[in-house]
Amino acid sequence: MGLKEVVCRIATARVNLVKPFRQPVRDNHVVPSSTRRGVGGGPHVKSRFTCDHCNRTLRIICAFCYATTNLSKSTQKGFVNVEFPNHVDRISQSARFEKSLYDLIRGLRNHKGNEKEYIQNSLKECRAEIKGSDMDLKATALLKLVYLEMFGHDMSWASFHVLEVMSSPKYLQKRVGYLGAVQSFRPDTEVLMLATNLLKKDITSTSAINMSLPIITLPHIITPSLALSVLSDLLPRLTHSHPTIRKKTIVTLYRLALVYPETLRPAWPKIKDRLMDEGEDPSVTAAIVNVVCELGWRRPHDFLPLAPRLFELLVDGGNNWMAIKLIKLFATLTPLEPRLVKKLLPPLTNIIKTTPAMSLLYECINGIIQGGILGSNDDSADGEEIATLCVSKLRGMIMVEGDPNLKYVALLAFNKIVVTHPYLVAQQEDVIMECIDSSDISIRLRALDLVVGMVSSENLVSIVGRLMRQLRNARSQTLEEANERPVSGVIEPIADSDDETPEVTIRPDRGASQEPLLPDDYKIDVISRILEMCASNNYGNLEDFDWYIDILIQLIRSAPLAKSASGAEERGSRDNSSSSLDISEKIGDELRNVAVKVRAVRASATHAAENFLITMYNDNSSPFSPATGALKPLAWIVGEYASSLESPDGTLTALLHITRSSAPAECIILYLQALPKIFALVAGDDRASWTPERKTMSSLLMARIIHALEPLAMHPDLEVQERAVEFAELLKLAAEASAGQDVSSDEVEQGAPLLLTQAIPSLFSGQELNSVAIGAQRNVPIPAGLDLDEPINANLSSLLRAVDSALFDEPDGDEFETYYYRAPPSAPSVSEPAANRLGGPSEEAVQSYQHGSEESYLDPDIVARRRAERLERNKDDPFYIAPVESSGTSTPLHNILQSNNGPDLDLDAIPIMQLKLDGPGSEMTGQGLPKKRKPPKAHQRIQVAADETLGSGSTTPKFDDSENSFEGAQRARPKGKQSLLQVDSSHIGAFSLEGDGSATGIDFERQQREEAEMAKAMKEVDRLRLEMQRANERIQAAQGVSLEGTVVKKKTKKKAKPVEGESVEPVKKKKAKKAVIDEGQGEASNVAEVVKPKKKKKKPKVDQVNDQPETLVQPNE
Amino acid sequence: MINAVLVFNNAGQPRLTKFYTQLETSVQQRLISEIFTLVSNRPSGSCNFLPLPPLLASSGTSHTSSSEHNDTPSLVTYRHYATLYFIIISTSTESPLALIDLIQVYVEALDRLFENVCELDLIFNFETLHTTLSEMIVGGVVIETQLEKVVEGVKAQGKVAKRPVNEGRGGGGLGMSMGGNFVGWAGR
Repeated sequence: MGLKEVVCRIATARVNLVKPFRQPVRDNHVVPSSTRRGVGGGPHVKSRFTCDHCNRTLRIICAFCYATTNLSKSTQKGFVNVEFPNHVDRISQSARFEKSLYDLIRGLRNHKGNEKEYIQNSLKECRAEIKGSDMDLKATALLKLVYLEMFGHDMSWASFHVLEVMSSPKYLQKRVGYLGAVQSFRPDTEVLMLATNLLKKDITSTSAINMSLPIITLPHIITPSLALSVLSDLLPRLTHSHPTIRKKTIVTLYRLALVYPETLRPAWPKIKDRLMDEGEDPSVTAAIVNVVCELGWRRPHDFLPLAPRLFELLVDGGNNWMAIKLIKLFATLTPLEPRLVKKLLPPLTNIIKTTPAMSLLYECINGIIQGGILGSNDDSADGEEIATLCVSKLRGMIMVEGDPNLKYVALLAFNKIVVTHPYLVAQQEDVIMECIDSSDISIRLRALDLVVGMVSSENLVSIVGRLMRQLRNARSQTLEEANERPVSGVIEPIADSDDETPEVTIRPDRGASQEPLLPDDYKIDVISRILEMCASNNYGNLEDFDWYIDILIQLIRSAPLAKSASGAEERGSRDNSSSSLDISEKIGDELRNVAVKVRAVRASATHAAENFLITMYNDNSSPFSPATGALKPLAWIVGEYASSLESPDGTLTALLHITRSSAPAECIILYLQALPKIFALVAGDDRASWTPERKTMSSLLMARIIHALEPLAMHPDLEVQERAVEFAELLKLAAEASAGQDVSSDEVEQGAPLLLTQAIPSLFSGQELNSVAIGAQRNVPIPAGLDLDEPINANLSSLLRAVDSALFDEPDGDEFETYYYRAPPSAPSVSEPAANRLGGPSEEAVQSYQHGSEESYLDPDIVARRRAERLERNKDDPFYIAPVESSGTSTPLHNILQSNNGPDLDLDAIPIMQLKLDGPGSEMTGQGLPKKRKPPKAHQRIQVAADETLGSGSTTPKFDDSENSFEGAQRARPKGKQSLLQVDSSHIGAFSLEGDGSATGIDFERQQREEAEMAKAMKEVDRLRLEMQRANERIQAAQGVSLEGTVVKKKTKKKAKPVEGESVEPVKKKKAKKAVIDEGQGEASNVAEVVKPKKKKKKPKVDQVNDQPETLVQPNE
Repeated sequence: MINAVLVFNNAGQPRLTKFYTQLETSVQQRLISEIFTLVSNRPSGSCNFLPLPPLLASSGTSHTSSSEHNDTPSLVTYRHYATLYFIIISTSTESPLALIDLIQVYVEALDRLFENVCELDLIFNFETLHTTLSEMIVGGVVIETQLEKVVEGVKAQGKVAKRPVNEGRGGGGLGMSMGGNFVGWAGR
């Protein structure tokens, strides 16, 4: 480094003087580091080098013997001559010129704007430096690499050099090496194999600080085979005189046990001894408790015998952290040993009442809840007391102003209680609901979790109302921020770009005040929770479906569309997170479900879908595109329930508008299917006569539809193509038929073509579609005679051939006409769904009046419509107070009210509580004016169809099977694909600490597996050893041949080196080798020292053997 | 257990990354930037806990068996000091409030070691950050929570470098004493 630094600096300085450099020479030329050696001890160097950076050729003249301090005056064509000012020895030079970490960081800060380039250069330098033989330089380079790794620059290529630095005798260098290992080694890092000996040696080192390096590193790099080999060295460290070593060893043993459970067999008794030892250093005891706590929730049974000692520690241990861990541990133990509860209650109550540490207090409460102490009401007096104490404390935490952390953890605790004691949480509804509107998203999410758990038919409307209000208020904000967000989202930490003052002393800071913003992910979450709450229990909590439909429409409007439409695919491919599911489509699906399942509101659901489509068509500024997910189910609804449409023509027009090839294929498919359904309704009236107007209208309509369908016949998606062609051809036939049909005049009554009135509608009528349960399909019995392998038509091939050869007869139109004109025998008259006849008129659907403030979350048009509907519905109701004069039914009372309160009074805005006149425990909770006596229990008339399934019910074994397998698949998945950062400790769960010889079946299996693994590992080691040995022999043989011309394999390099005899690589190798031998001779006592460098020399060869065969022997120059 | 400890500044530049499970470098970077996005958008007066970043959320929310749940990182705790964010990612078996205190101990230990610690100290001595952390957490398990012992442990490994004297942008000089040790800390 030193030399090239000099060269580059001079080149920069003289760039104007040196003519041949046409382009300015950039600073920091990178010259292969091997040049350094010339300066080191060898003779003068006078040779050419190429700068890796700018490809300029530089000539370096080493002139350290010259007394002059001047730079060279002679510049040659293409070369810069450099004379070194002073004779400097190697070490001081490297100290002078090498770029330290400090330089790197400073350089990074000085290269603002082109950090990327600077980092690339630095990486190149590090690459060169780390390959050198100078340990100082190596360590520094490694430290720099570790630093750059933090910014995302991969350093896995350097793993072998990490190992080299780890083996340094100097502590500070060793520490850097171990740091490199911690930060960069991955499970597949190959050099781990080679590290085993080094680790073993360092663990048994005499110095405590040296020893702790491998101990703290092991958890990061541990593998089963490594665990096996270091275990024997690690175990004695448990009794090391230094407490720091003891506590680190305990934790490391725990991590060993996670990958290699057998560790615990010898280790656990020793750890237990430490724990039982009263004279043990308190921090070691605390560390053991931490480990025991980690193990505890896996195998609580094994720790029951320790309870007395743990209890002792809890009572008189002064360490809060440890106390917290103990309480957590006890919470897992108490379900197994109920007697513990009695013992624990006094100290826990004591802590709750006295401790000044909020964290301890919280964990006490948490432990009491989780340990089931609340539920175990052996003596109800105590249990009651502690329950009230806990809940009141938690409630207090939420109420506390100014400490959001307590709010958060209290909600966390409630989340745990709600599973077992929902009633306790339900009592706290008021405070929890407040948290839903908190400005802090973390708190909101927790509260949201809770709310979903405690929703009931009474509070559903108000909870959903709150959430809707949130979404609505946040909408405008996010639209503004949509443009800014990506900027903050893709911050790419490259280098220091700190304009801010890092000199500021670190102090806590609550952050600058910012507007709360709702990220789309959160909105999506809220929306799916709303859907979940309403749909739960097959809409059991829902009383007012009209309200729900309005909510759904509102949700479609406020759902984060832009992102889900465009970003879904990208995100979906990146990671299959749940949010990639198009939320808009989910909402639409809900509306469809309601339409299918609840006949009573089918008509209103259809109207809602219809209105949405038409508004979207009319409003050019509408943000919805034909790709909007919600349109798919909506299109299905308007098609399937076309008879309920208010304006079929308008809907058809809107549908035609969105049936464009620009929409995604899966949308077009559904739009295509809906078109003929509506058309059948519009044109298929068989009662009206075939007037000229009707004929014109029909043919026009058909022409329009055909016009829309025809471009889609060429659509790349086959399904779209097929449907488009199918319907287009059908309509063409119909058009032909209607053109040929004479119109009815005054004399002759002429019916419409049957194709229009009978054939096409009959395509879409028939059995009503119902929702089908998941898994029901599998219950469909396979017909006995079904053989899928048997060809349907035995002589299919000959038929096909016949088609090929036969002339294509144009079928004569008459045949077709008679076919189509003949009425089908049992075609239903109109395709009106049975629902309309069966279900009660929708006007009778009952409305809940609990949501007085719905204006706050519904769009004005929806609100206006709702009000109008309500008015219409109640116009004959003498008790109803109409809000507007013009209603015609205004009562005197209204006038009085209005005159007293002024015209601004909006009666609809007064919150009206639902009157519960019937049922047990009904009470007058109404505040405000009761507008209407609610017909009791009227909502029960709304029937929600259950999912259809086959067989005698959901308890059919077969169905259960399918359900189970579905569940099973879901459960199995997390095991296969672990969460990031997750440490898999599932192995250890089956491991018995008591370690009696009788291994269970599972244990035995595992043992076998481990043995196999071990055998594999040993084989691998053997293979490597053999290879190394061979390589070694080769070298020795070569050395034996000629002392001078040592044959050394050349390292494989990514960049091909010019072999113009200038390459000094082999020389370096030789020197390294010699050095090793010298060292070995010098201190023959240190055997390991000799062994180790040998290994490090062999490593590249091992790689080569693995990677590619190459010309092994290359003569030295 | 603790899955990761991260330190980055207000601009999202990492100052310390420590993952207690092996993770690809690129994934690490993505996680850091996701957490930074979350943390930098916090309004004032928010609590010290973050919702799970998307990378972790996919598995965190699925309710599988409880033991599975205990192994999954589900808690992201952070504290903001001047220009730096300190973040701990942990499983639900850790106590959230205690983690806040743990970060506090870590920062106080750094303050003892550097005397009026500031971001520059941490930039130039990131190795010391690692050393200090490894005195407190080994393999994701906390081994020490007492300030004195942590400081003692680090000092036993050699002298802690001071920040370079002539460092500072625009020659601003850094020798100035910051005065007052951690005045603003809310004792908990």
